[in-house]
Amino acid sequence: MKRLPFTRLLLPALAVLLLTASGAFAQQDMTHVPTEAFKKLTRPPAAFAHDAHNEKAGLTDCTACHHGEKDGKRDPASDTAGIPCADCHAVAAKAGKTPLERAFHLQCMGCHLTQKKGPVTCGDCHKPAAK
Amino acid sequence: MKTIADRLIEDEGLRRGVGRLTPEKIQKVFKELVAGECGARMKTYMETCVRCGMCAKACHYYMSHKDPSYTPVAKVSQTMWRLFDADGKVDPEVIYQCAQVAYTECNLCRRCIHYCPLGIDTGYIISVVRRLCHKLGVTPQYIQDTAHSHSATMNQMWVKDDEWPDTLQWQEEESREEFPGLRIPLDVEGADFMYSVIAPEPKFRTQLIYQAAAIFHAAGVSWTMPSTPGWDNSNMAMFSGDSEIMARVERAHYETAQRLRVKRIVMGECGHAFRAVYDVANRWLGWKYHPVPVVHSVEFFWELIQQGRIKLTHKYADPVTIHDPCNIIRGRGLMDKLREVVHFLCENVVEMSPNREHNYCCCAGGGVINCGPPFKNVRIVGNSIKAEQLKATGVHTLVAPCHNCHGGLEDIISKFGLNMHTKFLGDLIYELMEKPE
Amino acid sequence: MHALYDLAVGPLAWLAFAVFILGSIYRLMSMRALALKKDAAFVAYISWPHAIRSLLHWVTPFGALGWRENPGVTIVTFLFHICLFVAPLFLMGHIVLFDTFHGWSWPALPDGVADTLSIVVVAACAYFLWRRLSVPEVRFVTRSHDWLVLALVGATFLTGVLAYHRIGDNLFMTTLHVLCGEAMLVAIPFTRLSHMLFGFFSRGYIASEFGSVRFAKDW
Repeated sequence: MKRLPFTRLLLPALAVLLLTASGAFAQQDMTHVPTEAFKKLTRPPAAFAHDAHNEKAGLTDCTACHHGEKDGKRDPASDTAGIPCADCHAVAAKAGKTPLERAFHLQCMGCHLTQKKGPVTCGDCHKPAAK
Repeated sequence: MKTIADRLIEDEGLRRGVGRLTPEKIQKVFKELVAGECGARMKTYMETCVRCGMCAKACHYYMSHKDPSYTPVAKVSQTMWRLFDADGKVDPEVIYQCAQVAYTECNLCRRCIHYCPLGIDTGYIISVVRRLCHKLGVTPQYIQDTAHSHSATMNQMWVKDDEWPDTLQWQEEESREEFPGLRIPLDVEGADFMYSVIAPEPKFRTQLIYQAAAIFHAAGVSWTMPSTPGWDNSNMAMFSGDSEIMARVERAHYETAQRLRVKRIVMGECGHAFRAVYDVANRWLGWKYHPVPVVHSVEFFWELIQQGRIKLTHKYADPVTIHDPCNIIRGRGLMDKLREVVHFLCENVVEMSPNREHNYCCCAGGGVINCGPPFKNVRIVGNSIKAEQLKATGVHTLVAPCHNCHGGLEDIISKFGLNMHTKFLGDLIYELMEKPE
Repeated sequence: MHALYDLAVGPLAWLAFAVFILGSIYRLMSMRALALKKDAAFVAYISWPHAIRSLLHWVTPFGALGWRENPGVTIVTFLFHICLFVAPLFLMGHIVLFDTFHGWSWPALPDGVADTLSIVVVAACAYFLWRRLSVPEVRFVTRSHDWLVLALVGATFLTGVLAYHRIGDNLFMTTLHVLCGEAMLVAIPFTRLSHMLFGFFSRGYIASEFGSVRFAKDW
């Protein structure tokens, strides 16, 4: 109970700071969907240049991808930009939650299929790193 | 590639038969046959064969000719598939070809069952082709004659009602010189078994009846033979496709045994007859198994030996080899008993290879030899693989407990100059046994 | 192409699975009804112990005379059928589709292994193609139907391998792969591929006759 103020105030502040910094870093230089959370990769990381993608897709609303959660459902109203996907989508998710791999696949393929644009097949995203 | 059309053989029965046909008539009969007598077996076999060709090596015709049109699947391809593809509406000439394939190029030996992973029974399919040909009246002249004989006399060889007991009494009389007390008991009600033979025995192999009587006499068994029609256990109607006559013949045979109230039927050394009595006719007549227990000579001799009823003066010294007839090996699993009997009788047995259930056919059975002289060469040349198999044993005596096998094997032995002779178990037992005074 | 892909992995996939499963059930049940109606004198002899004993021999490589006498076909046939089932059922790409859209997941083979198995299937198809063309006894009995079913299986696995190796336009190749696979599934109950459904029964039946009536082995 003693540590309550610290966790209540300091930790979020720290987190916001860190995430903004890393977010800013990621947005500009991101070339792939972040894969750090996975212990082992079975395919090459999916190519994804954040800014170029959004520019091409005409995406300005962050919540198109960075959604929140409400009552166990996707909540498009809350903006979670800056929070790593893996923070909510555990790699090994509990029942009822969406695991990280499925979240990524759903996010990309789902939108690409709806928009009828962008890669949808395994090989069009998971490309070996260009040499 | 050559097909059946390139090797047609003139046969009066086939030629006249197709002369009466039209494509419409063929279609009508074919459709009736498929709707009436064929079911899930035919449908499955027709629809699932993946044409892998693995069955080729099963067939002695293919192994002898190395011609792809002789494989089991090729025979089906040239007959049943053609019929199904055309929904039965084919030229009469196609029926000629179907008949020649079905009656003279397949012995229904079922060796191909050991090759088809899907278990497709080519013998069954070919039997249905024969059934169609029979219904269309397109049957080889010689085998049709035997079917006519069955129909008119209840035996295969036109043996008349009085000739039959005459022959038995003649053999009894003959044997009296050697065995003064010997009887061939006719119509003895309640005997342990009824002994039945095929009609060629009284017709031209009477010594086989003599020998059997001598063996039964020496063994002191209770037996009888019928004096009436119903004595012949052979059944060429089964092979001509005439299921109705087939059933009449077997009904007469079973009912004769029932009239005599015997415990069982012991059949002479014939394979196809055993198939008819043991496996085929009972079903047509609506019995799951035969109404009277049926025992083949091989098994009966084995029993006599087990019971010590046959004593030998000596064993057969020359090396012998064993031919496994399809209808009692693949048809009844008598391979071990056959061997035990032969080993009891002979000093030196050389197995041929392949043997037991995997043995090559004699190429005479299945009614093929009964199609007569026009097709004789086909079945002899079509079994050079058997000649090679026999030759490889290096022996001069061949034990074959089946009449058709004898016929077929004698033919290839003479054609390929094999210097062998064939023997029935009865020949050997008669020759070697202690004969009572 | 997106629309076609969407159609192929969505409605068409369901249609293909439905036709395959319901069609197979229908074929099996109607064949059973036909057997009971028309083949009663043969159904009567069915003996499961003998059928199973025989099937155990036939599912063992070189366990039956036919296998031993055709060693090449035997090796290829066994590899082909094992890979044909294992590769697609445990392929990550397939599991991911189910996982993504339905949340169903099961263990996958490592990609390299699945790739090898798929290439084995393609190679086996090439071998079967060669046999149909060059082995006289096979060629003699080959019909257009046989080319069709071989092409269906061959094309499905070939496009799968090409898509995995990202040869050709990936969306096109993957879509083609999905469509071929669906055509193959739909074809199973209604073509010679139905030996997958009936083969065990036809073998089991003849094994019963051989075992319980004829006391002889049928392998």
